[in-house]
Amino acid sequence: MNVVIDGKTVEGRAGETILECALRYGISIPHLCTHPALPPFGACRICIVEVEGMRGYPTSCSTPIAEGMVIRTQTEALRLLRRNILGLMMLEHPSACLVCERRDLCDKYRPKSEKVGATTGCHTCNNKEVCEVRELSADLGLAEIMVAPNYHYKPIERSEPFIDRDLNLCILCGRCVRICKLHQGKSVIDFVHRSSQTHIGQAFGKNLHEAGCTFCGSCIDVCPTGTLSDRYAKWFGRPDRITETTCIYCDEACALAIYAVNNKPVMAKGLYDKWPVCVLGHFAIPEFLNSPQRLRTAQIRVNKVLRPVTTEEATQRCAELLKNHMGKNFAFVCDTSSTLEDRHVFKKFTQEVMQSPYYFEIVPDRKGYARFTNIPEEVKAVITTGSFVPQELRDKFEVVISLDIFPSEWTKTADVVCPVAVFAEVSGTVLDKDNQIRPLIKACNPPGEAMPEWFVVQQIAKIFSPDKWKEYQAVEEITYELGINTAKLNLDRETAPPASQNLKERREWFKGHKIEDYVSGLVAVRNFEEGQDHEEKAEVRLEVKIPENPLPFMVLSRRELVPNTYEFVIHAPAIAKKALPGQFVIVMVDENSERIPYTLSDWDERKGTITLVIQEKGLSSRKMISVNEGECLAHVVGPLGTAFEIKHYGTVAILGGCYGIGAVVRLSRALREQGNKVIMISEARSHYMTYYKKELTAVSNQFIQTTIDASSGEKGHAIDALKRLLQTGEKIDLIVAVGCPFMMMITAEETRNMGIKALCALNPIMLDGTGMCGACRISVGGETKFACVDGPFFDAHLVDWDEVRDRREAYSTEEIQAVSYTMPSTTLEGEHRHHHCSCMERG
Amino acid sequence: MNSSHSESELVFGIQELFKKHPARRSSIIPLLQEIQEHYGYVSPPAVDAMSEYLGVSASEIYGVASFYTQFKFVPPGKYVIQICQGTACHVRASSIVLEALREELKVEPGHTTSDGLFTLERVACVGCCALAPVMAINGKVYAQMTQDKVREVIKEYRQKEENKTGI
Repeated sequence: MNVVIDGKTVEGRAGETILECALRYGISIPHLCTHPALPPFGACRICIVEVEGMRGYPTSCSTPIAEGMVIRTQTEALRLLRRNILGLMMLEHPSACLVCERRDLCDKYRPKSEKVGATTGCHTCNNKEVCEVRELSADLGLAEIMVAPNYHYKPIERSEPFIDRDLNLCILCGRCVRICKLHQGKSVIDFVHRSSQTHIGQAFGKNLHEAGCTFCGSCIDVCPTGTLSDRYAKWFGRPDRITETTCIYCDEACALAIYAVNNKPVMAKGLYDKWPVCVLGHFAIPEFLNSPQRLRTAQIRVNKVLRPVTTEEATQRCAELLKNHMGKNFAFVCDTSSTLEDRHVFKKFTQEVMQSPYYFEIVPDRKGYARFTNIPEEVKAVITTGSFVPQELRDKFEVVISLDIFPSEWTKTADVVCPVAVFAEVSGTVLDKDNQIRPLIKACNPPGEAMPEWFVVQQIAKIFSPDKWKEYQAVEEITYELGINTAKLNLDRETAPPASQNLKERREWFKGHKIEDYVSGLVAVRNFEEGQDHEEKAEVRLEVKIPENPLPFMVLSRRELVPNTYEFVIHAPAIAKKALPGQFVIVMVDENSERIPYTLSDWDERKGTITLVIQEKGLSSRKMISVNEGECLAHVVGPLGTAFEIKHYGTVAILGGCYGIGAVVRLSRALREQGNKVIMISEARSHYMTYYKKELTAVSNQFIQTTIDASSGEKGHAIDALKRLLQTGEKIDLIVAVGCPFMMMITAEETRNMGIKALCALNPIMLDGTGMCGACRISVGGETKFACVDGPFFDAHLVDWDEVRDRREAYSTEEIQAVSYTMPSTTLEGEHRHHHCSCMERG
Repeated sequence: MNSSHSESELVFGIQELFKKHPARRSSIIPLLQEIQEHYGYVSPPAVDAMSEYLGVSASEIYGVASFYTQFKFVPPGKYVIQICQGTACHVRASSIVLEALREELKVEPGHTTSDGLFTLERVACVGCCALAPVMAINGKVYAQMTQDKVREVIKEYRQKEENKTGI
């Protein structure tokens, strides 16, 4: 049938929707709640179009085409409607970053998002790099938020295995509910409650496991926002490589897409929209393969001790050891998790090189458990490709060569250990349960010196019989020799794997190793199955009584000021006695913690307390904000750094942003007491991120609040308010900017030619804080300075801002790795933020 | 949920209720109503039983039930206090009357006091606007309420209960 879309006549297919038809012809209609895997829903109304003869604006995602339809997709009226619809939707989503005038500059200065607890803007959102809402808002030209947005103060849910859920980001598109229904038959989650209280949830607030979740992860795959995230993968950012391959945890052999960053696997998901994969396919591959416990270097036994050696040395040793155990003295033991190519080489090696009949291929049981005990008496040397042989049998062998991925009792008592590449780290072919051949495509690099199993065995064979062994240059040569036609291989399947519907069907073992030993979220799943919920800390905290004589570094009060930002009052009389404005302390939460510098926000010499304002930004600050009232920090050292020179400057403008707002209270008071006119400008993304308004008003002569979305006070960053002030003729003698590097950088750049001195407070990574280690070095005016002793205040116009950023990000890979575990968080999740934050004070 | 009831007590006789409704999605609301009438509220085990019978997930049933204010998820108290928030009552300051009830009972609307005596409910209109602001306890209407008057009424009910248990 013929339809006309935007003046172009196209041929529609019976049963398809306007949207499907348009997309097929490359005509783009903005859309959001619809998804190719899901039936039409028509919830968000972004995809509205005009159809001649039809009343109103039908949604193209749910309107079937009909003969002779005349459709318009890009009229001015539609553009305005769509923009307003998105604008309304953005009232319940942290949206300030979408309408920020410095959005491009921010993306350029810091393209990667920062890992936080609660997301309050794109810059701290795990979904930033692939966000559909961001794209849409750019397409539709969203430039303002019409009224003050509503933040729901829902606690971030981090107490489920594998899945983080932050409902404060949810736009209620319903994709997760619909995919759950499609993939699981029944929806484990649904819309609950009504109108402004509507949210995605489980019956009676049960946890996901109780509600029947199988952790197939499909909901995460379709979420267009950062609401649902894969706890392991969330902060790695956009993948630089996506590879389609086959899962080999079991012989269902599901098709997977493996996402990699820098050749490291970070996420996996099912390849087909129609079928879910099981918990292992979705969540257990990256954490398993990236496990720090992986074997990385070859080892040989020297005087009862295993010593690391090169792969060449190890294979050389193998050949030497095997020389005296030819024929029936030798056995090769592998299981079917090795590729067909691996196994071809093993067999060939056993029969042709070792001339032994003892090549054993174990088929694991339903749980993936493979054990081999049936070893003939005369066997004295063995090569194994996993930890399959019971340890009791170890003494029967004179020589054990272990090709493995993780250390085990078996590898620890082996004569030679070779680390191997497996799974998504190798190419080849495998057989599924119906004996169909499935392709395995290398998706990432193995750790350290690990090599594919066939390659290691070939190395031994080459040393053993350099003349006879016909060397394979690449795995494809083996595939060819096996007579497999790679052109005919495919990843298709017809049904969902059983374990995706029934959690209990999941495999538990891989190559003789228990998968949950390396995938923390699986332990949580088992705990749920066995009825052991994790401890609930929140209830304990209510009973805390602060003693009259607190212990050193005891937390006397802890409150969440605004989402993700906390105020701590800590007992530290010695620091309170000596502290001066502008100085900082270094905190160690426990004995093994990182040392983190925090500016002293305030202190009380009489009470012996210090006040810090802290944001959750990673593992260490997360540990910090998880400390309860009445608990003690391991150590607080300070006061450190050079104090701010308190004297008469004239008119001082103090610009505070984020955690910097908390850091300037005492400074402002001291400057005002010296007779300065202090103009305090506090910036926040939105009204629900503003804090310390009263405190800052009390210590300044003039207080100005700015918000990026104009929902409280003036619109824009602090620097915008400063510029407006200068335009009114206000004379400023000194600018002090305290906030994140981006905020201080733009302040520096935009005041550079004003002829006003500007100071900023730098907080690079620090170790000792006394000028010894040099970790905090930065360049100011071409000179190297140590932020800990020369700073924290420096001339903002002389700072090398790119270097500041780069040095802060020096360990970002390690930092992300540190928060990437899939075990649920047991800290402070139950707390309802609303009661503690200052939002209630805003009228 | 009253912990003195075991799970099986909470759904005792539920299969009888199911018999009256076909096992399909469209039976969700009639069944919820039937359950509420029979047990006084919709309990988690009742929803689980419904889920099994209808082949619809518990979350979906809960989603439907929580959409409508008529469904209760906690056992109602012995006395259900309805405080009218309709237009006439509203302009005659029913909100401060509700405030007094909240303070007196120490519960939010929709909840039951810990002694199981009172359930506080907001309703839209009781149908006697001339008497605004109106409160109804188990159907008995109290007219032209003030903060002091509601405290007095609650005190009477408490007194009555104490006398009963005292004997």
